[in-house]
Amino acid sequence: MNKKKYFFTTWKNWRIKILYILILLIFGFYGFRLFNLQILEGEEYVAQADENRISNISIQTERGIIYDRNGIVLAKNAASYNIMITPADLPVDEGAIQEIYRQLSEVIDIPVSNGELTDEVVTTFSPCNTDLGISEVVEIADTNAPYTAMEIKCDVDKDTAMLIESKSDEWPGVTVEIEPIREYPTGELTSEVIGFLGPIPESMEEYYTELGFVAGRDKVGYAGIEATMQDTLAGKNGLRVVEVDVGGKVIRDVEPPVETESGLNIKLTIDTRLQQAAKAALIGNIDWWNRWFNDVRFTNGVVIAINPKTGEILSLVSYPTYENNRMARFIPAYYYQQLSEDPNRPLFNHAISAEHPPGSVYKIVTAIGALNEGVVTPYQSLITPYSIFITEKYAGNDTGTQREFVDWKEGGHGQANYFKGLSQSVDVYFYKISGGYEDEVKEGLGVWRMSEYAKALGYGAVTGIELPGEAEGLVPTPTWKRINLSENWSTGDTYIAGMGQGYVLSTPLQILVSYAIVANDGVYMKPTLIREIIDSDGTVVQEFTPTQVWDITKDPLIAIFDENDIPTGEKKVVEPWVLDMTQQALRMTVTEGTAMSIFEGMEIPTSGKTGTAEYCDNIAQEQGLCISGNWPAHAWYVGYGPTDDPEIAVIAFVYNGTEGSSVAAPIVREVLEAYFSLKEIDEGIQ
Amino acid sequence: MQRNLWRNFDFYLFGAVVFMCIFGIIMIESAIAGNEELTGYPQKQSIFVAAGLALVIIVAMIDYHLWESLAKFIYGFAFIALFVIFVYGEARFGSARWIDTGLILIQPSEIVKILMIMVLADHFNRTKDVERDLRWIGKSFILTLGVVIWILLQPNLSTSIVIFVIWFAMLWVSGLPLKYLAILGVIAIILVAIAFPLLEEYQQARILNFIFPNPEASYGEEYNIQQSKIAIGSGGWFGEGYGQGTQVQLRFMKVRHTDFIFSVVGEEFGFIGTMAVIGLMAFIIIRCLRIAQTASDNYGSLLAFGYAAMLFFQTAINIGVNLNLVPVSGLPFPFLSYGGSSLISTIIGIGLIESVAMRKKIIQ
Repeated sequence: MNKKKYFFTTWKNWRIKILYILILLIFGFYGFRLFNLQILEGEEYVAQADENRISNISIQTERGIIYDRNGIVLAKNAASYNIMITPADLPVDEGAIQEIYRQLSEVIDIPVSNGELTDEVVTTFSPCNTDLGISEVVEIADTNAPYTAMEIKCDVDKDTAMLIESKSDEWPGVTVEIEPIREYPTGELTSEVIGFLGPIPESMEEYYTELGFVAGRDKVGYAGIEATMQDTLAGKNGLRVVEVDVGGKVIRDVEPPVETESGLNIKLTIDTRLQQAAKAALIGNIDWWNRWFNDVRFTNGVVIAINPKTGEILSLVSYPTYENNRMARFIPAYYYQQLSEDPNRPLFNHAISAEHPPGSVYKIVTAIGALNEGVVTPYQSLITPYSIFITEKYAGNDTGTQREFVDWKEGGHGQANYFKGLSQSVDVYFYKISGGYEDEVKEGLGVWRMSEYAKALGYGAVTGIELPGEAEGLVPTPTWKRINLSENWSTGDTYIAGMGQGYVLSTPLQILVSYAIVANDGVYMKPTLIREIIDSDGTVVQEFTPTQVWDITKDPLIAIFDENDIPTGEKKVVEPWVLDMTQQALRMTVTEGTAMSIFEGMEIPTSGKTGTAEYCDNIAQEQGLCISGNWPAHAWYVGYGPTDDPEIAVIAFVYNGTEGSSVAAPIVREVLEAYFSLKEIDEGIQ
Repeated sequence: MQRNLWRNFDFYLFGAVVFMCIFGIIMIESAIAGNEELTGYPQKQSIFVAAGLALVIIVAMIDYHLWESLAKFIYGFAFIALFVIFVYGEARFGSARWIDTGLILIQPSEIVKILMIMVLADHFNRTKDVERDLRWIGKSFILTLGVVIWILLQPNLSTSIVIFVIWFAMLWVSGLPLKYLAILGVIAIILVAIAFPLLEEYQQARILNFIFPNPEASYGEEYNIQQSKIAIGSGGWFGEGYGQGTQVQLRFMKVRHTDFIFSVVGEEFGFIGTMAVIGLMAFIIIRCLRIAQTASDNYGSLLAFGYAAMLFFQTAINIGVNLNLVPVSGLPFPFLSYGGSSLISTIIGIGLIESVAMRKKIIQ
């Protein structure tokens, strides 16, 4: 009986059935899981498997070359040689590897082993910029991606690269990578125009990645033409979609590769020779004066040359600038910091971004306005003593206070008409036509109309030159003053504005443009740096087409105001005879006016205008220079020639340059002379 | 007599096993995926399979009652062999599991699984009339532990668990009272709680990693499981084709030829392939259970039942690991996974079962 109790005779009891049920349940459950995994979620896992095996390889394209107008290379791509090791391609034998390291170490001067691989060292490791030895770097590479080449030493010279290349059979796994870097043959001479490249900034990473750029490898323009013409120059990276194995080794192309598109080449309007002359003239004069004062008094300056007929910028000098070749591989932190902290702001383009009071060069605005509006006639003589008293009023019913306005010339100019007014830069003449004076000039030009002429001549708006960071300047109006300074426009403000002082601000380029408009008989040509765009085969993709912004003698730009200074809605043009008179007056600056002595003996007739603009900015204030009645002054001169058919207009600006005629005018003369002699040489060749 | 004997040889079981073994060789060939170190493996596995199948015939011919009479000797042999391994074993993969014969590496604990089936079957057969009390449970447990302790100390947790599973299966089928089952369950839980801190660090890490997966881990344990899951999932209905599985061929999966061979099947032959393999394994296990039920005596039944339980447990755990349902254990897939010792011992087991089948009681 006991026997039957514990032992089952037939082996068919429930205890065995339990095992059958277990098998059914567990294998059934696995079947269910597999159905979920393979059938229902299959797509998702296929996607994950594809993500594992498919890798996009961006093929780096070549950036466009930048030439000057004569085909001189201003920016090109050069090869930089990096020594690489692919861990998976090294020999199997550890001894052989060590032998390669030892020999390589002698050639590239990096120790076989140096440093210890701690977590911190590994996470902060960046190729090209490490103290680790060859074996440590290879160990990191071997852990991360053994089939991907790792930089061991970057930017070796060509001979070393050739030597290592020739050893490729003896040293398996060691290769030379050619990395394109930007090279600027003219360096500091043209850096303010060309700019430089830098890594894709984090904030723009998404944008550029979408365009096919690779952050960390591809570089983008940070300044100058490199920045503004980024899209044209960059071209398009190619793409290979490949299958890789777990080590990152490329097995095959999954799709036909997308070829790279080379960036387009750009021919600038700049003439490097003239740029050289302009820079030499500016720096030469600044140095001469600083030596003469025995003090670094003049610290920054600008020279720009334009062809008034086409708007082509022939040279653009902003001093001081930087050496863009130092940014070719990467932007060195100490250099960048040094540039950023320099009070003269080398990274800042003074020619287009600096806003200064223009001073007397602004007088053409008042002059053209007054003549066109009939405030005075050209030959009408006004009495121009050393100083006049004008009632300063902030409102119509204000009784006002008497305020003295003085001329730059002690003893005054006696009498002056339009021509003498401009050529001798007679301040009192301009006070009177700006705001009116007693019975002599019953009604002056006034601030509203003045602002219309200023805008028609290009002030108060960007010109659209192909450089980043262009400033707008400021053409003040009573509305502007009320909004920004919460104060009424006073009568005195008008007198001051009429000679480019007070609230008026403009960039050197704006002033040059206003004179180019006058020189070109009223036609405003958009200033441009781009002459041609050429593809990599040499075919011209975009020919040079001068862009006319407007013609002040044909396009009605000047708003007409009623007696209450309310615009009537009608607009008028500038009469051509007004420009004719102005051109004559500007010629007289050189023949008998403020620039006579400087331009004495120059064969080709030129015209121009001097400017000495008093200023009191934060720098001057810090140095304690802002003494009332004796403020520091910027030196300006704008000139163009030949007078009868101007083909070049040049502006020179010297910050804190004291006096336009003596400091800025000689620079312009040197540039004009350089231009004409270069022209003679070019014509001689042809 | 001999002709009669062969008439009851289970050709379906043998056929299924042969099919699985050959399929295993084919899958190992695919799993090499260009890894030079693994180049010779399909050839080696072929030799093991051939040798194993020959052993099936030899072992089948031997009357299994021989093992019954040799039970004490077998136990002594297993004990000594494992003890020697423990003392002189060559340290490989962090544990002393192997004997280097100069020609091949032998993993004695794999053979011990079969030996313990023989020993425990004998023990439970001899104690079949004993009262089912704690003494009865305790004696068989100590008998098992006496051998397993050396495997546990190697350390080789997974083989130890397999042997305890065999012990428990025989205990169960021999009539373990349900109240003791509850007690055993409680004891097992307490033992796990006590034993966990004593585990090797990598074993703890595996278990913790399974219970609390680290979402940021891209390499290591989590990586392997994740990759095998991707491999299986991307197989779809019919798989990517033999030798075409990207996870396998581009080596995103590790230990493809051993622990994760099931995933290779999953990726290259899809749902159809995995279901076929599971179905075939179920067939083999059920055939063994049938033999247990039709054996001419209790000893034969216990042999077949213990073996069936072992096959089922190993298969279930291995698939569970591949599907990320069970912590990584290192148990091979029976017949499919590469590995001489495991294959030979599993296949010898088939011989043993066939020997039982051939001598089954004649059903009139």
